[in-house]
Amino acid sequence: MVPLAHYLIFSGILFAIGLAGVIIRRNIIVILMCLEMMLSAANVTLVAFSRARGTEGIPVYDAQVLSLFIVAVAAAEVAIGLALIVAMFRARKSVETTSLNTLKD
Amino acid sequence: MEYAISNILFYILALLAIIFACNVLRSSNPVTSAMSMAVCFAFTAAILFGLGAQFLGIVQLLVYAGAILVLFLFVVMMLDVKAEERKTSRFATALTGAVIAGVLAGMIANLAINLPGAKNGSCPVKALCCDEASAACCIDPKAAAAQAEAPENFGGPLAVVNPSASDNDATAIAGTLYTSYNIQFVILSFALLAATVGAVALARKIRKD
Repeated sequence: MVPLAHYLIFSGILFAIGLAGVIIRRNIIVILMCLEMMLSAANVTLVAFSRARGTEGIPVYDAQVLSLFIVAVAAAEVAIGLALIVAMFRARKSVETTSLNTLKD
Repeated sequence: MEYAISNILFYILALLAIIFACNVLRSSNPVTSAMSMAVCFAFTAAILFGLGAQFLGIVQLLVYAGAILVLFLFVVMMLDVKAEERKTSRFATALTGAVIAGVLAGMIANLAINLPGAKNGSCPVKALCCDEASAACCIDPKAAAAQAEAPENFGGPLAVVNPSASDNDATAIAGTLYTSYNIQFVILSFALLAATVGAVALARKIRKD
Protein backbone atom coordinates (compact mmCIF):
# COMPACT_ATOMS: atom_id res chain seq x y z
CA MET A 1 0.00 0.00 0.00
CA VAL A 2 0.94 3.64 -0.40
CA PRO A 3 2.59 5.26 2.64
CA LEU A 4 0.57 7.69 4.71
CA ALA A 5 2.83 10.59 3.77
CA HIS A 6 1.74 10.43 0.13
CA TYR A 7 -1.93 10.68 1.08
CA LEU A 8 -1.12 13.65 3.30
CA ILE A 9 0.86 15.35 0.54
CA PHE A 10 -2.01 14.79 -1.90
CA SER A 11 -4.55 16.28 0.47
CA GLY A 12 -2.17 19.14 1.27
CA ILE A 13 -1.82 19.98 -2.42
CA LEU A 14 -5.60 19.83 -2.86
CA PHE A 15 -6.04 22.10 0.17
CA ALA A 16 -3.44 24.55 -1.15
CA ILE A 17 -5.15 24.69 -4.55
CA GLY A 18 -8.42 25.45 -2.79
CA LEU A 19 -6.77 28.17 -0.71
CA ALA A 20 -5.20 29.69 -3.82
CA GLY A 21 -8.62 29.74 -5.45
CA VAL A 22 -10.18 31.47 -2.47
CA ILE A 23 -7.49 34.16 -2.57
CA ILE A 24 -7.14 34.62 -6.31
CA ARG A 25 -10.60 34.23 -7.83
CA ARG A 26 -13.15 37.03 -7.85
CA ASN A 27 -16.28 35.04 -8.71
CA ILE A 28 -17.85 34.23 -5.34
CA ILE A 29 -19.43 30.99 -6.64
CA VAL A 30 -15.99 29.68 -7.61
CA ILE A 31 -14.69 30.75 -4.19
CA LEU A 32 -17.37 28.60 -2.57
CA MET A 33 -16.36 25.68 -4.82
CA CYS A 34 -12.76 26.06 -3.71
CA LEU A 35 -13.92 26.02 -0.06
CA GLU A 36 -15.65 22.71 -0.75
CA MET A 37 -12.42 21.39 -2.22
CA MET A 38 -10.56 22.31 0.97
CA LEU A 39 -13.12 20.44 3.10
CA SER A 40 -12.82 17.43 0.81
CA ALA A 41 -9.03 17.50 1.25
CA ALA A 42 -9.54 17.43 5.03
CA ASN A 43 -11.72 14.34 4.56
CA VAL A 44 -8.92 12.52 2.75
CA THR A 45 -6.55 13.33 5.62
CA LEU A 46 -8.97 12.02 8.23
CA VAL A 47 -9.59 8.77 6.39
CA ALA A 48 -5.87 8.26 5.75
CA PHE A 49 -5.11 8.71 9.45
CA SER A 50 -7.97 6.40 10.39
CA ARG A 51 -6.24 3.73 8.32
CA ALA A 52 -2.79 4.52 9.66
CA ARG A 53 -3.83 4.40 13.32
CA GLY A 54 -5.79 1.18 12.90
CA THR A 55 -4.46 -2.22 13.84
CA GLU A 56 -4.45 -5.31 11.65
CA GLY A 57 -6.08 -3.52 8.76
CA ILE A 58 -9.12 -2.44 10.77
CA PRO A 59 -9.38 1.37 10.69
CA VAL A 60 -10.24 3.64 13.60
CA TYR A 61 -13.83 4.52 12.87
CA ASP A 62 -13.97 7.71 14.97
CA ALA A 63 -12.11 9.55 12.20
CA GLN A 64 -14.53 8.28 9.59
CA VAL A 65 -17.47 9.47 11.68
CA LEU A 66 -15.84 12.89 11.96
CA SER A 67 -15.38 12.84 8.21
CA LEU A 68 -19.09 12.08 7.83
CA PHE A 69 -19.85 15.09 10.05
CA ILE A 70 -17.67 17.24 7.80
CA VAL A 71 -19.68 16.15 4.76
CA ALA A 72 -22.94 17.07 6.52
CA VAL A 73 -21.62 20.45 7.66
CA ALA A 74 -20.31 21.09 4.12
CA ALA A 75 -23.77 20.45 2.73
CA ALA A 76 -25.30 22.89 5.22
CA GLU A 77 -22.60 25.43 4.46
CA VAL A 78 -23.24 25.23 0.72
CA ALA A 79 -26.98 25.74 1.25
CA ILE A 80 -26.34 28.86 3.36
CA GLY A 81 -23.56 30.11 1.10
CA LEU A 82 -25.59 29.83 -2.06
CA ALA A 83 -28.55 31.55 -0.38
CA LEU A 84 -26.17 34.38 0.56
CA ILE A 85 -24.92 34.52 -3.04
CA VAL A 86 -28.51 34.75 -4.33
CA ALA A 87 -29.21 37.55 -1.82
CA MET A 88 -26.00 39.30 -2.87
CA PHE A 89 -26.94 39.01 -6.54
CA ARG A 90 -30.31 40.59 -5.78
CA ALA A 91 -28.66 43.50 -4.00
CA ARG A 92 -25.65 44.09 -6.27
CA LYS A 93 -26.59 42.45 -9.62
CA SER A 94 -23.18 40.84 -9.63
CA VAL A 95 -21.37 37.83 -8.18
CA GLU A 96 -17.95 39.51 -8.23
CA THR A 97 -16.31 40.14 -4.88
CA THR A 98 -15.16 43.52 -6.21
CA SER A 99 -18.76 44.72 -6.07
CA LEU A 100 -18.72 44.32 -2.28
CA ASN A 101 -16.93 47.55 -1.45
CA THR A 102 -19.55 49.58 0.38
CA LEU A 103 -17.54 49.71 3.58
CA LYS A 104 -14.41 50.75 1.70
CA ASP A 105 -15.98 53.73 -0.09
CA MET B 1 4.29 -6.70 -5.66
CA GLU B 2 0.67 -7.83 -5.75
CA TYR B 3 -0.43 -4.39 -4.54
CA ALA B 4 1.60 -2.53 -7.14
CA ILE B 5 -1.45 -1.91 -9.33
CA SER B 6 -3.44 -0.28 -6.52
CA ASN B 7 -0.39 1.85 -5.70
CA ILE B 8 -0.07 3.07 -9.29
CA LEU B 9 -3.82 3.67 -9.33
CA PHE B 10 -3.53 5.97 -6.32
CA TYR B 11 -0.89 8.13 -8.00
CA ILE B 12 -2.90 8.32 -11.25
CA LEU B 13 -6.09 9.24 -9.40
CA ALA B 14 -4.30 11.82 -7.25
CA LEU B 15 -2.72 13.41 -10.31
CA LEU B 16 -6.07 13.56 -12.12
CA ALA B 17 -7.79 15.03 -9.05
CA ILE B 18 -5.13 17.73 -8.79
CA ILE B 19 -5.36 18.50 -12.52
CA PHE B 20 -9.12 18.97 -12.31
CA ALA B 21 -8.74 21.02 -9.11
CA CYS B 22 -6.40 23.31 -11.04
CA ASN B 23 -9.01 23.46 -13.78
CA VAL B 24 -11.54 24.80 -11.26
CA LEU B 25 -9.13 27.67 -10.62
CA ARG B 26 -8.18 28.24 -14.23
CA SER B 27 -11.53 28.18 -15.97
CA SER B 28 -13.27 31.50 -16.47
CA ASN B 29 -16.67 29.85 -17.00
CA PRO B 30 -18.39 28.92 -13.70
CA VAL B 31 -20.15 25.94 -15.33
CA THR B 32 -16.78 24.50 -16.38
CA SER B 33 -15.51 25.12 -12.86
CA ALA B 34 -18.47 23.27 -11.35
CA MET B 35 -18.04 20.31 -13.70
CA SER B 36 -14.30 20.13 -12.97
CA MET B 37 -15.10 20.24 -9.26
CA ALA B 38 -17.45 17.28 -9.69
CA VAL B 39 -14.79 15.27 -11.53
CA CYS B 40 -12.22 16.20 -8.87
CA PHE B 41 -14.59 14.98 -6.14
CA ALA B 42 -15.22 11.77 -8.06
CA PHE B 43 -11.48 11.06 -8.14
CA THR B 44 -11.22 11.93 -4.44
CA ALA B 45 -14.01 9.43 -3.79
CA ALA B 46 -12.05 6.84 -5.75
CA ILE B 47 -9.05 7.51 -3.50
CA LEU B 48 -11.30 7.00 -0.47
CA PHE B 49 -12.36 3.66 -1.99
CA GLY B 50 -8.69 2.80 -2.29
CA LEU B 51 -8.25 3.60 1.39
CA GLY B 52 -10.93 1.03 2.21
CA ALA B 53 -13.57 3.58 3.20
CA GLN B 54 -16.30 2.47 0.81
CA PHE B 55 -19.13 4.08 2.72
CA LEU B 56 -17.43 7.48 2.83
CA GLY B 57 -16.55 7.18 -0.84
CA ILE B 58 -20.19 6.61 -1.71
CA VAL B 59 -21.23 9.50 0.56
CA GLN B 60 -18.64 11.70 -1.13
CA LEU B 61 -20.03 10.81 -4.55
CA LEU B 62 -23.67 11.26 -3.54
CA VAL B 63 -23.34 14.44 -1.50
CA TYR B 64 -20.49 16.29 -3.23
CA ALA B 65 -20.61 15.14 -6.84
CA GLY B 66 -24.38 14.75 -6.70
CA ALA B 67 -26.23 17.15 -4.45
CA ILE B 68 -23.73 19.99 -4.05
CA LEU B 69 -22.86 20.04 -7.75
CA VAL B 70 -26.53 20.28 -8.70
CA LEU B 71 -26.97 23.09 -6.19
CA PHE B 72 -24.02 24.98 -7.69
CA LEU B 73 -25.19 24.47 -11.26
CA PHE B 74 -28.70 25.51 -10.27
CA VAL B 75 -27.46 28.80 -8.83
CA VAL B 76 -25.11 29.44 -11.77
CA MET B 77 -27.95 28.91 -14.24
CA MET B 78 -30.46 30.87 -12.15
CA LEU B 79 -28.19 33.90 -11.78
CA ASP B 80 -27.12 33.56 -15.43
CA VAL B 81 -23.47 34.17 -14.57
CA LYS B 82 -21.39 35.01 -17.60
CA ALA B 83 -17.77 34.05 -18.04
CA GLU B 84 -15.56 36.67 -16.49
CA GLU B 85 -13.40 38.87 -18.64
CA ARG B 86 -10.77 39.26 -15.96
CA LYS B 87 -10.58 36.18 -13.81
CA THR B 88 -8.33 37.44 -11.06
CA SER B 89 -8.14 40.82 -9.50
CA ARG B 90 -4.61 42.11 -9.89
CA PHE B 91 -1.35 40.43 -10.69
CA ALA B 92 -0.11 41.20 -7.18
CA THR B 93 -3.12 39.46 -5.63
CA ALA B 94 -2.65 36.42 -7.86
CA LEU B 95 1.02 36.26 -6.95
CA THR B 96 0.24 36.59 -3.24
CA GLY B 97 -2.31 33.79 -3.46
CA ALA B 98 0.06 31.51 -5.33
CA VAL B 99 2.89 32.19 -2.87
CA ILE B 100 0.70 31.59 0.20
CA ALA B 101 -0.70 28.36 -1.27
CA GLY B 102 2.77 27.22 -2.29
CA VAL B 103 4.19 27.86 1.16
CA LEU B 104 1.27 26.00 2.76
CA ALA B 105 1.71 23.03 0.43
CA GLY B 106 5.43 22.98 1.17
CA MET B 107 4.81 23.06 4.91
CA ILE B 108 2.32 20.20 4.72
CA ALA B 109 4.65 18.17 2.53
CA ASN B 110 7.52 18.79 4.94
CA LEU B 111 5.34 17.72 7.86
CA ALA B 112 4.20 14.60 6.03
CA ILE B 113 7.73 13.59 5.10
CA ASN B 114 8.91 14.07 8.69
CA LEU B 115 6.12 12.02 10.29
CA PRO B 116 7.14 10.04 13.39
CA GLY B 117 8.76 6.86 12.21
CA ALA B 118 9.18 8.06 8.68
CA LYS B 119 12.92 8.37 9.16
CA ASN B 120 14.29 5.84 11.59
CA GLY B 121 15.86 7.49 14.60
CA SER B 122 15.19 11.06 13.58
CA CYS B 123 12.39 13.14 15.00
CA PRO B 124 10.96 16.37 13.60
CA VAL B 125 10.35 18.02 16.96
CA LYS B 126 13.44 18.08 19.12
CA ALA B 127 11.48 18.03 22.38
CA LEU B 128 9.83 14.77 21.41
CA CYS B 129 13.10 12.98 20.64
CA CYS B 130 13.31 10.70 23.61
CA ASP B 131 15.41 7.70 22.75
CA GLU B 132 18.13 6.69 25.16
CA ALA B 133 20.90 8.48 23.29
CA SER B 134 19.33 11.92 23.55
CA ALA B 135 17.51 11.63 26.85
CA ALA B 136 18.75 15.07 27.83
CA CYS B 137 16.46 16.77 25.32
CA CYS B 138 13.32 15.41 26.94
CA ILE B 139 11.22 18.22 28.33
CA ASP B 140 8.12 16.45 29.57
CA PRO B 141 8.90 13.07 31.11
CA LYS B 142 5.22 12.19 31.26
CA ALA B 143 4.83 12.74 27.52
CA ALA B 144 8.00 10.80 26.93
CA ALA B 145 6.66 7.87 28.94
CA ALA B 146 3.38 7.99 27.04
CA GLN B 147 5.28 8.01 23.79
CA ALA B 148 7.42 5.09 24.85
CA GLU B 149 4.27 3.22 25.82
CA ALA B 150 2.55 3.73 22.47
CA PRO B 151 5.22 4.29 19.85
CA GLU B 152 3.67 5.95 16.84
CA ASN B 153 4.84 4.72 13.52
CA PHE B 154 3.39 6.43 10.48
CA GLY B 155 6.40 5.76 8.33
CA GLY B 156 5.79 2.50 6.57
CA PRO B 157 3.16 1.67 4.00
CA LEU B 158 -0.42 1.48 5.26
CA ALA B 159 -1.61 -1.93 6.31
CA VAL B 160 -3.63 -3.89 3.79
CA VAL B 161 -7.37 -3.56 4.35
CA ASN B 162 -8.72 -6.33 6.51
CA PRO B 163 -11.45 -8.17 4.53
CA SER B 164 -13.75 -8.30 7.56
CA ALA B 165 -13.35 -4.53 8.00
CA SER B 166 -14.09 -3.78 4.36
CA ASP B 167 -17.16 -6.02 4.43
CA ASN B 168 -18.64 -4.35 7.50
CA ASP B 169 -17.62 -0.78 6.72
CA ALA B 170 -21.06 0.84 6.98
CA THR B 171 -21.97 -1.31 10.00
CA ALA B 172 -18.87 -0.26 11.89
CA ILE B 173 -19.36 3.44 11.08
CA ALA B 174 -23.00 3.24 12.16
CA GLY B 175 -21.96 1.48 15.35
CA THR B 176 -19.54 4.28 16.21
CA LEU B 177 -21.96 7.00 15.12
CA TYR B 178 -24.91 5.79 17.14
CA THR B 179 -22.99 4.85 20.30
CA SER B 180 -20.03 7.16 20.89
CA TYR B 181 -21.26 10.14 18.88
CA ASN B 182 -25.00 9.96 19.34
CA ILE B 183 -25.42 13.43 20.88
CA GLN B 184 -23.20 15.03 18.27
CA PHE B 185 -25.30 13.34 15.59
CA VAL B 186 -28.49 14.85 17.01
CA ILE B 187 -26.85 18.28 17.27
CA LEU B 188 -25.77 17.94 13.65
CA SER B 189 -29.35 17.32 12.60
CA PHE B 190 -30.31 20.58 14.33
CA ALA B 191 -27.51 22.33 12.44
CA LEU B 192 -28.89 21.01 9.16
CA LEU B 193 -32.39 22.16 10.13
CA ALA B 194 -31.08 25.61 11.03
CA ALA B 195 -29.21 25.75 7.71
CA THR B 196 -32.36 24.86 5.79
CA VAL B 197 -34.43 27.51 7.58
CA GLY B 198 -31.61 30.03 7.22
CA ALA B 199 -31.23 29.38 3.51
CA VAL B 200 -34.95 29.93 2.94
CA ALA B 201 -34.93 33.07 5.09
CA LEU B 202 -31.90 34.49 3.28
CA ALA B 203 -33.02 33.73 -0.24
CA ARG B 204 -36.62 34.92 -0.06
CA LYS B 205 -37.55 38.33 -1.38
CA ILE B 206 -38.00 41.00 1.25
CA ARG B 207 -41.37 42.67 0.87
CA LYS B 208 -41.32 46.44 1.05
CA ASP B 209 -44.72 47.30 2.51
